[in-house]
Amino acid sequence: MARYYPFSAIVGQEDMKRAILVAALEPAIGGVLVMGDRGTGKSTAVRALAALLPPMDAVADCPYGCDPLAPAGLCFYCDGLRANLQALNASQIAAGKKGKPVKLKTIKRNVPVVDLPLGATEDRVVGALDIEKALTLGEKAFDPGLLARANRGFLYIDEVNLLDDHLVDLLIDVAASGENVVEREGLSIRHPAKFVLVGSGNPEEGELRPQLLDRFGLAVEVKTPTSMQERVTIIKRRDAFERNSIAFLAEWVEQEEAIRKALELARKKLPHIKVDDKLLEQASTLCSHLGTDGLRGELTLLRAARAVAALAGKNKATLEDLQAIAIPALQHRLRRNPLDDSSSAVRIERTLAEVFPA
Amino acid sequence: MSLALWLRALLVAHILVSNPHSFGGVILRARAGPVRERWLHYLQTLAQQAGLKTPLRRIPLGISDENLLGGLDLEATIHSGKPVLRSGVLANSDGQILVLPMAERVDINVASRISMALDQGQLRLERDGQSNLLPCHFGVVALDEGIEAEERANIKLQDRLAFHLSLDEIRWHDLPENEDGLIDVDASPPISTQVGNAASYILTDEQWLAITETAMHLGVHSVRALHYAAKTAAYLAAMQGADRISDSHLSEAIALVISPRATQLPSAESPPAETDLEEDAEHAEPPEQNDAPENKVEKPQAPAETPLPENQQDTVAEIEDSVLAAAKAAIPADLLSELLKGPLIQNQKAFGGKTGARKMGCFRGRPMGSIAGNPQAGASLSLIDTLRTAAPWQVIRKKQNASLAVPRSSKTIHITKSDFRVRRYQERTQTLTIFAVDASGSAAMHRLAEAKGAVELLLAECYVRRDQVAVISFRGTGAEILLPSTRSLVRAKRSLAEMPGGGGTPLADAIYIATELAQNAQRQGLSPAIVFLTDGRANIGRNGVPGRAQAQLDAEQAARYLGRSTIKSLWIDTSPQPRIEGEQIAKLVGSIYLPLPHASAKEVSQAVLRTL
Repeated sequence: MARYYPFSAIVGQEDMKRAILVAALEPAIGGVLVMGDRGTGKSTAVRALAALLPPMDAVADCPYGCDPLAPAGLCFYCDGLRANLQALNASQIAAGKKGKPVKLKTIKRNVPVVDLPLGATEDRVVGALDIEKALTLGEKAFDPGLLARANRGFLYIDEVNLLDDHLVDLLIDVAASGENVVEREGLSIRHPAKFVLVGSGNPEEGELRPQLLDRFGLAVEVKTPTSMQERVTIIKRRDAFERNSIAFLAEWVEQEEAIRKALELARKKLPHIKVDDKLLEQASTLCSHLGTDGLRGELTLLRAARAVAALAGKNKATLEDLQAIAIPALQHRLRRNPLDDSSSAVRIERTLAEVFPA
Repeated sequence: MSLALWLRALLVAHILVSNPHSFGGVILRARAGPVRERWLHYLQTLAQQAGLKTPLRRIPLGISDENLLGGLDLEATIHSGKPVLRSGVLANSDGQILVLPMAERVDINVASRISMALDQGQLRLERDGQSNLLPCHFGVVALDEGIEAEERANIKLQDRLAFHLSLDEIRWHDLPENEDGLIDVDASPPISTQVGNAASYILTDEQWLAITETAMHLGVHSVRALHYAAKTAAYLAAMQGADRISDSHLSEAIALVISPRATQLPSAESPPAETDLEEDAEHAEPPEQNDAPENKVEKPQAPAETPLPENQQDTVAEIEDSVLAAAKAAIPADLLSELLKGPLIQNQKAFGGKTGARKMGCFRGRPMGSIAGNPQAGASLSLIDTLRTAAPWQVIRKKQNASLAVPRSSKTIHITKSDFRVRRYQERTQTLTIFAVDASGSAAMHRLAEAKGAVELLLAECYVRRDQVAVISFRGTGAEILLPSTRSLVRAKRSLAEMPGGGGTPLADAIYIATELAQNAQRQGLSPAIVFLTDGRANIGRNGVPGRAQAQLDAEQAARYLGRSTIKSLWIDTSPQPRIEGEQIAKLVGSIYLPLPHASAKEVSQAVLRTL
């Protein structure tokens, strides 16, 4: 089993780390896209995320890891389990015994962080006929794919800009609907596939289709650190990790625990974070000044600001939180302006300074 | 000179076989020839001694995902009645060294998959109903046969393979009879112990800083490179059984890993006490290593460089100076001559070499696997893939058909429409070459006729290749599209003949219009390239108002705008005495700058054909 480099030991790259935590905290934001230079720890950070997430309650036996509290009708598998329990109950009552309320067996599961590797074939992504069962037993069974595995967790695509076009189409569809539909020769499956999309890549190797870009809630750009001290620290830590990963992980247990706690606390706080009318107004002023298309940007901006506030342990989201996350929330939604040659991030910064002078 | 380089190349082979995966591998920039063969042979012998699987395995250029990563073994699956995985080249090469020929032409998809496996040390396979995690530790020898400066191995691979060797400067007759005793193998501990030992060598804080600073001075930004340099230093120390990593180990490691990646020469003023660096650089020698194996053979010594005494408390600055000097000395000659002209600007648009954009299609091009679909409308059925899709269903369908009582022999293969897979191809898209021709008074005087001639020659060439061309002319207050994209040679010639000259130079407008045209073409699935033929002296602003200063600013802004796109361009400076303004704008555009003051039409057209 590969050991992943701890999240807290990643040097610098504060924007990336914050965006990843915000996306992890509030799945409704719609994930994060990390684009940037080679060797800046993009994949490292995403893979490290898995270790930070507290285990979740899931229906035991359900291959989609459904939430036990989810209403019936969302997952065919859980519905089947419920029906079985009800039948059992009914037969027990008929036999004169006391019935029990129908309750699915629950287990704790790690939040899935599923890799979608380059070269994956479509059948493995969406799921297909279980080859083993089909060949040995002649049974038509569904073998869930990566989308099923990623349900309620994260789907990580490294080199997202190199992903095959027909897989991109598929992902865009599922990411929007939260449901995966497989129809093939008497195999008709519909299962929940709600996941947070996390992508990374190097923009020099190709741009992302706008439709897929839009699926990501946040976008951050990472650059190679230029400070000498940071660079020395990076290679020293990396070296220590490669020499003895167990010892290295042990050294960082406390820091990891601190982030985990903060994340857990923030998760409890998040539903109670207040957003007042003034902030709503400020968000919409910013968006209209930047000319972002549609409401999605504004909505993401507000959600992200709330998550930032929750991570900081506050009760109320303020302009400060909004400003902290404005660039990742909006920079991939700006239209290119032919008369303005500055980057999206710079334009947002400038607009922030104009609209909300300090 | 040759010999020193050869020794360094041999040393790389030794380090590589000790732990191929940990160093990623080596980029071997060399034309096919006896020198390269000899190095590969040497590597293979070492690999054999080190107990690695040999012969070295080659990855063919256009390898498919199925062969590279793996997939369902159709035959074995049908035979055994249960799914059988056939692993690909990558997973089969665990603990081995792979050879990647023609690395400068390797497809970005192949490079990415190799990089992915290198990064993770394992291969995550999600193909054909198989989900697997296979161990996958290998090293790569990428044979880069590029000739032009931009023809290089994929940047992903450049970053991940620790060593970059260039053998082209080594002449065959300079090489010794054989390699016996050149590198001190016998005295070295066996490789397995070296690997173990290397882990016990740790760099001092000063040494860490020295690596980082040297890399900074040479403009090497990748953190991976730093890491590889540190590892290499530890291995060098372990190979020699030294008691610690000495500064000469450090210098050699930096010379091997950092120097070939240099993108700039250290500036004379920034670091202190660097005065005689320039002097040292003139004797482009490998760093001095008193106990290094190189000294077994007579070789010229770098002057006035002695390792610091062991017991002296090395200051960071001192280590750095010696290391930096050595690093600078180890920059390959061809790279050095490039760097002497100024810092390299990595041409981000050059990632695909000269290849055009790609488009998926069903008709022609390079085969790219198959997708579900009907073999209609010209799409051809992929029989094997169809059988592969149908294979798992056979038992089920036989049962069903038995209940339907359709008489079939037991050997019948049951295939339904939903199994059909059609072949998919990737084709190069058509190129649109946009000529932006300066027809202003200043340009018309010197060059307009030749420019026209060049465009005509290129048109003829484009016509042969079935490419499209468009012509923009700019003069007076603005630019206009003289010829929208076309394939008609006659039409193009006519519009060129009618092209009037004279007036100001509205360069900004020309760049914007060319960019717009190129972007439109991209949207239509063409790959555009822009050729500017101008003297680069803007004197009309974007708003059409004369004024040199404002015009220059506008042109620069326009150039930056174009520079941020992925559009390729060539800037031909046609003025009799090329001036800095033109070159500056060309740099901002990110285009290839070509001053051709006295060029004839033929020369211009040849330059375009060569570069775009």
